[in-house]
Amino acid sequence: MLHVEGLSVRYGPVRALESVSFEARSASITTVLGANGAGKTTLLRALSGLVPSHQGTASFDGQRITGRAPEAVARLGVSHVPEGRGVIAELTVDENLRLGTFVRVRRGERRAVVDEIYERFPQLRDKRHRSASTLSGGERQMLVIGRALACRPRLLLLDEPSLGLSPIVTAQLMATLRELTTGDGLGAVLVEQNARSALSVADWAIVLNLGRVVVADRPARLAADADLRRHYLGF
Amino acid sequence: MTASHTRADAEAGPSGTRPDAEAGPPGARARAVLGLLARRLRLPNQPLVRHLILFVLGAGLFYVLTVNVGAYNDYQIGEIAVYAIVLGGLSVLTGLNGQFSLGHGAFMAIGAYTLALLQLHADVGLVGELVIAAVIAAAAGAVVGVPAARLSPPYLAGVTLMLALGLPQLSAQYGSVFGGEQGLTTTPPAAPGSLSPERWLAWIQLFCALVVLVLLANLVRSRFGRAFRAVRDDEVAAAVSGIHVARTKVLAFAVSAGCAGLGGALLVLSTGVVNVGEFPLSLSIGLLAAMVFGGAGSLVGVWWGAVALVYMPTWSTSLSQHLSLGTSAAAYLSDAFFGVVLVIAMLVSPAGVQGGIRRIGQLLWSGGGVAGLGGPGGGVATDRMDQETKERSRP
Amino acid sequence: MELFVDILLSGVAQGMVFAAIALGLGLVSRATGIVNFAQGAMGMFTTFIAFSLLSHGVGYWPAFVAALALGAVLGAAVERTLIRPLQGKPALNPVIVTIGLLIVLEGVAGSIWGNVARGFPAAFSQRGLVIGRTRVAFSHFDVFLVCAVVVLVVAIVALFRWTNLGLRMRAAAFSPEVSRLLGVRVGRLFTLAWALACAAGSLAGLLVAPLSSFSPYYMDLNLVYGFTAAVLGGLLSPVGALAGGLVTGLSIAFVGGYVGPDLQPIAALALLLLVLMVRPQGLFGTSEVRRV
Repeated sequence: MLHVEGLSVRYGPVRALESVSFEARSASITTVLGANGAGKTTLLRALSGLVPSHQGTASFDGQRITGRAPEAVARLGVSHVPEGRGVIAELTVDENLRLGTFVRVRRGERRAVVDEIYERFPQLRDKRHRSASTLSGGERQMLVIGRALACRPRLLLLDEPSLGLSPIVTAQLMATLRELTTGDGLGAVLVEQNARSALSVADWAIVLNLGRVVVADRPARLAADADLRRHYLGF
Repeated sequence: MTASHTRADAEAGPSGTRPDAEAGPPGARARAVLGLLARRLRLPNQPLVRHLILFVLGAGLFYVLTVNVGAYNDYQIGEIAVYAIVLGGLSVLTGLNGQFSLGHGAFMAIGAYTLALLQLHADVGLVGELVIAAVIAAAAGAVVGVPAARLSPPYLAGVTLMLALGLPQLSAQYGSVFGGEQGLTTTPPAAPGSLSPERWLAWIQLFCALVVLVLLANLVRSRFGRAFRAVRDDEVAAAVSGIHVARTKVLAFAVSAGCAGLGGALLVLSTGVVNVGEFPLSLSIGLLAAMVFGGAGSLVGVWWGAVALVYMPTWSTSLSQHLSLGTSAAAYLSDAFFGVVLVIAMLVSPAGVQGGIRRIGQLLWSGGGVAGLGGPGGGVATDRMDQETKERSRP
Repeated sequence: MELFVDILLSGVAQGMVFAAIALGLGLVSRATGIVNFAQGAMGMFTTFIAFSLLSHGVGYWPAFVAALALGAVLGAAVERTLIRPLQGKPALNPVIVTIGLLIVLEGVAGSIWGNVARGFPAAFSQRGLVIGRTRVAFSHFDVFLVCAVVVLVVAIVALFRWTNLGLRMRAAAFSPEVSRLLGVRVGRLFTLAWALACAAGSLAGLLVAPLSSFSPYYMDLNLVYGFTAAVLGGLLSPVGALAGGLVTGLSIAFVGGYVGPDLQPIAALALLLLVLMVRPQGLFGTSEVRRV
């Protein structure tokens, strides 16, 4: 579903990504691991069009997405949940969710889609008319994932969703993610610092170091490799 | 680009030094050539001495210029000198300190009315009149500078805009003091010997311009100049290194307003009358545009800006005759020109005319090593001044 | 007492004009984070076009609507051609562009229509209404003026509060990047905000033209009063703009009536500085941090 071929990104003279190639399939989680500054966030930003790519291509369902504006990529069904939550604090919870539905959901179905999100995250329903700035960290994470789902995406790009969450909430989050990506063909690219929990749910893993893919393999194999864990994954 | 660099851009806006700052080796080479050139011209390295030598050279140049022109051109040359003073102050404020003002017409008005009132009620002599006009305008600048130092660009723009619109109107409110709509008359100084009064006044104005620009050039090189630049580049870093940020900004505003006040006083010596109509909003904005046109922060560029301010109305008169728009359209075309200058300067961010000349010079030097005499005498020293500015501004 | 009432009433009418300008300044500031100092001049320009239409025999209302539409088109064009290319540059650059545009528009208007003070017709009678036995300084036209601005404010509030378009506009202003990731076409919404703002500016221009001596510079002072009103109102909310406009209008009117009309600009400056120094979020602003 997502096909990345030789993708390079430069910030001036700095090579942030160097010829990255990988594939992400539908109904599966592909995790992208690596140390700080390895290029994980840049990869997601390049895929969603927030930073221009220097070389290479990424295509989504056969359509080229590199070189498109972020809003155009989003309209194809790629939902990027940026690092640091990305709730719009000035809007209410309900407004945040409705905002997700404007592009890929028909006018008459929008309310139903938002209600579906409330079914999944009942805590959000209780605070629907509150400003998003009043939510806790875990609730904010629910909100942004709920909003991304309200877009009716076919591919989720998640940037460090576990950042700042307690282990219990992280585990719940990963379980939710697993559940979402088994049923209806939704794919996910999961960027994580927390390699252990990412590997526990992913179907495929790639490891970035200094902008290059150093390993691409099944999660179980990565977790078993002590050298790799020590060098790149930090556990 | 580091954060402080972008910040410097934000503050300085169309700073004349910016594009060359990235030049790297060619810039360095040009600098070396410039140094060599300065030595070959036997310009000593002490800034004061060097600036004084340039002062004498400039004075000689202007002497030759004025003895070869008629009375009307005397008047225009004097006007150019006056605007060079005002633009010099504005250029230091923007190019060196990163502030800006849309209200310098108001400070010119303060200087102008001060001079007229002194001529009317006191007998302090021309020097006294000019000094007091500058000091009072500087004091007003300090008063405005206190709030201005705390405002971010859009609010600073709004506040100074209101100053430009509101202050001259005070003269209508207190008509008994300021002469109302008619305004006040001024008397130009008596010329010695057989010299025409126009030429004598033009010389005085040119002399003042050279003195002010030399003083500003020295200020730029002084402890205060370094503080100005430090505040422009990064206020937090400047504060951490012991610079009183607010005081520095207020000082820059006061210096700049003082220049405008002196300019205003000298200007109304030529026109013979001071009234509200002489300081419209378009003058204040035109000053900003002319400063940007010459190249912010360049004390040589101010001459280009001043020439544009004085000759643009003339040129636009002939243009409007050419387009058969009628003579009344001329003044508006000139205003529109300065507006276009501002818009274009912001869109393409060049370093003004002086920056363009400097860049051509650098291309020549770094390309073929053709080390001719690069422009007027003043160019060398100010280029060096700016080059040094640049080095210090690097984080 | 009669003087007091008259000043009060004219302050309300003036304040409504300032509110319309403040509303436009707020729309642009909220969307693109800058203050459009050319807004008054843009309103002046479209009002002059309406003036030309009127003198060519076009009716008042068609000319009125045409000026509003032209204001919107002008605003959108300026955003696209002059403001958009400066995205990511220091905030000073677009502000200076709007100031350049201000004198370009005044210069062009001056060379087309000349700098003579003219009269601009009003839609309704400008004779004061008679209440009881006295004629007050408030005419049918003033009633229209107040209603027009109130309708504008209500419409903008409704747009933001109750429509999906308004929700998208708010989201784009608060968080452009996140909005784009959700498929919101942020660029178009910014253009729309400029168009709306400049239409509001045109409305202000049309409404205030009959009250002033109509020349290319008649909006200069109105713009700075509108700016004062916008800062007073906190620059973000339409209701704040309305309140800021009223406070500014009344202050100006009382200074003009009791002290002297030539002190009005300086009084407005003092008011502006007072607010900026003491309560930078505006008298009616919330604790929301302003984008400056």
